[in-house]
Amino acid sequence: MVILILAGILLAFAAPQLYHWLGKYTYLPFTLFAAAVFVYLSTYVPGILQGHTYSYGYTWTPSLNINIDFYFDGLSLLFSLLISGFGVLIMLYAGGYLKGDPLLGRFYLYLTLFMVAMLGVVLSANIFSLFIFWELTSVSSYLLIGYKNEKKEARDAALQALLVTGSGGLALMAGLLLLGIAGGSYSLTELLTRGDLVRASELYIPALVLVLAGAFTKSAQFPFHFWLPNAMEAPTPVSAFLHSATMVKAGIYLLARLSPVMGGTEAWQYSLMAAGGITAVFGVFMAMQHTDLKALLAYTTISALGLLVTLTGIGAAPALQAMLVFLLAHALYKGTLFLVAGNVDHATGTRDLNQLQGLGKKMWRTGAAATMAALSMAGVLPFFGFIGKELLYQAALEAEVFGFLLLAVFFITGMVFVTVAFVLGYGLFWKKSENTTPVQHHLPPSLYLPPLVLATAGLAFGLLPGIMATPLLQRAAQAVLVEEQSFKLVLWHGFNLVLGLSLLTLVAGYVVFLYSIRLRSFAPFIDKVHRFGPNYLYKLSIVGLLYGATRITAVIQNGYLRNYILVIILTLMTLVTMALWNGEPALEFGSRMYQLRDVRIHELILVLLIFPALAFLLLTGSRLTSIAIMGMIGYTAALFYILFGAPDVAATQLLIETLTVVLFVLILHKLPAFRKLVTSYQRIRYIIVSAVFGGMMTYVMLLVKQFPIKSELKRYYGENGYLLGKGHNIVNVILVDFRALDTLGEITVLAVAAIGIFAVLKLQLGKGDNS
Amino acid sequence: MKTLILAVAIRILLPLFILFSLYILLRGHNHPGGGFIGGLICAIGFIFHTMAHGPGHTIASFFCICIYVQPRQTGQNKLSHLLRLLSANVVNRKKLKGNATYTLKLLQVDPLFIIASGLFFAASSGVAGLLLQQPYMTAYWADFYLPVFGKPGTPILFDFGVYLLVLGVILKITFVMAEE
Repeated sequence: MVILILAGILLAFAAPQLYHWLGKYTYLPFTLFAAAVFVYLSTYVPGILQGHTYSYGYTWTPSLNINIDFYFDGLSLLFSLLISGFGVLIMLYAGGYLKGDPLLGRFYLYLTLFMVAMLGVVLSANIFSLFIFWELTSVSSYLLIGYKNEKKEARDAALQALLVTGSGGLALMAGLLLLGIAGGSYSLTELLTRGDLVRASELYIPALVLVLAGAFTKSAQFPFHFWLPNAMEAPTPVSAFLHSATMVKAGIYLLARLSPVMGGTEAWQYSLMAAGGITAVFGVFMAMQHTDLKALLAYTTISALGLLVTLTGIGAAPALQAMLVFLLAHALYKGTLFLVAGNVDHATGTRDLNQLQGLGKKMWRTGAAATMAALSMAGVLPFFGFIGKELLYQAALEAEVFGFLLLAVFFITGMVFVTVAFVLGYGLFWKKSENTTPVQHHLPPSLYLPPLVLATAGLAFGLLPGIMATPLLQRAAQAVLVEEQSFKLVLWHGFNLVLGLSLLTLVAGYVVFLYSIRLRSFAPFIDKVHRFGPNYLYKLSIVGLLYGATRITAVIQNGYLRNYILVIILTLMTLVTMALWNGEPALEFGSRMYQLRDVRIHELILVLLIFPALAFLLLTGSRLTSIAIMGMIGYTAALFYILFGAPDVAATQLLIETLTVVLFVLILHKLPAFRKLVTSYQRIRYIIVSAVFGGMMTYVMLLVKQFPIKSELKRYYGENGYLLGKGHNIVNVILVDFRALDTLGEITVLAVAAIGIFAVLKLQLGKGDNS
Repeated sequence: MKTLILAVAIRILLPLFILFSLYILLRGHNHPGGGFIGGLICAIGFIFHTMAHGPGHTIASFFCICIYVQPRQTGQNKLSHLLRLLSANVVNRKKLKGNATYTLKLLQVDPLFIIASGLFFAASSGVAGLLLQQPYMTAYWADFYLPVFGKPGTPILFDFGVYLLVLGVILKITFVMAEE
């Protein structure tokens, strides 16, 4: 599996080049890759169906328990099949949808990266790798939403999604760590068996709050829902893939996955049911106010996610079964509808419901897909959505608490789903109207096939639930509920209360559809109220953050180098003083005086050399002289290193001093004349600060030397430098072998700094050109 | 800065600088030295060259591969045209420098590229460990000695990456500042 993931990442980064080579056939390798993943995952199906689970471990940093482990069971297989299956269709669809786009290569890069990350999320068995893949989905979602990077709305929406889901991801990280501490393991497979231990721990509530923050932000639960409608700025294939079928369901996956570990308590149940219930009703309420196709779908998606969270919160077997069935049904029909919306947008150039009429004749294939998906959404008989809806009501009726309230929530959302289904499946395509919207061009097969396939899958799952869906869903439910499940999905339950409720929903939904235009007239009023919602708070906090950052920057980084240094030194001094104040043992001057006797004459001369150099430096009026003197002081320091047996450090110091002087000489004649910019009062202030700082550093160094260092490191490196590192020069062995990762970090910083310097210098040139 | 002595001397010294820096790089594991210092020494050589000749000349002599082309003139047969190009590219390259009709820059190595490849070498030296199911950056050494080079191993590759990166960083800064 790790090979597949790595291959995916490699393929992703080859995308721009592939686009260069393949042009409009770029979609081929990516579709094939997604298909290969799907086929590979399908090979696990027989084993999983027999009740096996598979895990694969790859050690990464075993000393920190950070490993890349993969775990296949019913739940993860269901999700990963959904992801890769959708991946195939979306990769194909995107090729047609964004045909001729100059950035298509980049688009496939992001999309493939996302797919790989998403697979990583649902298959990870180690909480660290789970977190890494989780954040990677946020990052790729950011890149995909901001794909039309010249549009400000897209950039803002992308940033918003990143900030909301990214901070949720951080909360999740903390929550998972607490969970790991409470359960005594960082492996999900082990945690799954330690639910009681976790629930009894006092870390349970903090962990729960943090994990829920992560899941709710990702799955757009109220009050974090606001990023999802804005994320519709992304191209439609992205909306279909990330923001309805897969990524937003990562939160649901996490809740379902952790349900055996954290679920079952009142805190879990009530918080999930409350958040999910509010989101579900709020989502459909907002959906009624919008005429933009994608906004409409986005809000119904939020609502559906709310339903899924609610069902997970109920926690009983029928609810979780309903959750899984509804999840699959929703992915199928909502993905279809998004693709339909994309087709409509592509063909007519608008997504406004008020302008779209009678498209059925020109776009009958898309229309057929839309109608099938809409029927599934409304929960009409032979479709998979019908089974989902039946189970939904069943779960509400069998719920132990709040049964009536849950029923009401399910009824309201179901009703509006029916309305939206009428709007999309009937109103858009088949409703009779005089002036049909002109269709600008016909759609190629890559655009109409994917929605048709998805919609047909919805029908097939509904007609043959026993063969198509039941076995895998059983195993998925088993993973969530820990015990063997034997439920059977059937299309026809006979005449009972649930069927009655279903019919009532249909009728109510139709009635709402008839009055939907009148209902929409409330939109301006609601918009006013909604303006002060979470979205407004988000904007306020961003503006505040930027304002605060500007103010602080203006004070501590005002553009004068001396001021920067002053701030740094003063901060350091404050911190050191605070540390020394708190009862640290004081320096014993008396007992250290003997060390002065060991000072040798050449050391003294070197020290004495520095003083005239300093005096000269302060008094000189020439830039060249001051640079040369600085170099001289640096050389003196290098001599000290040699005297105390650190030739490597000395060589580096000598070379750096030389380089600094030479580089200065290079640009010397470009600099303005040497002037005194500060008043003598300021000079005295700087002198005092530097004298105090120097004195303090001396004190600290002496204090450090007062205590023998009880470190094993020196001995360890001394002994093992040659044995393990195969080198006599310990400094070098430490740098390139023992602590090579640190060095890698440092040289990365160096590289970034070089690019930064380049950018700053070139940017100033650019400014000069413009003015 | 136009100083004749430096300009002449650096032409002779620069190969020595490079050789010496490589020597420092390779001896680093057992004696004072290493990639960082080696990179600095190599960069100083190039900086002196830049000081004496200007960045354009340094880039053209060491970081470019140029071939000289010229469209075929009327009345010139193919063979003599080819021969002419060949001689321009092999024998009298110097004479054609600055002659605009002849030059074609085939490949220019930007210092950023050196930085990137340094980072690549350093980072990829640790992959061997990953592939052998060990933690990233686990060192591997060969069992034989190469003449001059010594015992090859992944830390040498890492140090070489550091060398390239330091060289590239300083070259980039120098060229940008000198061109201004």
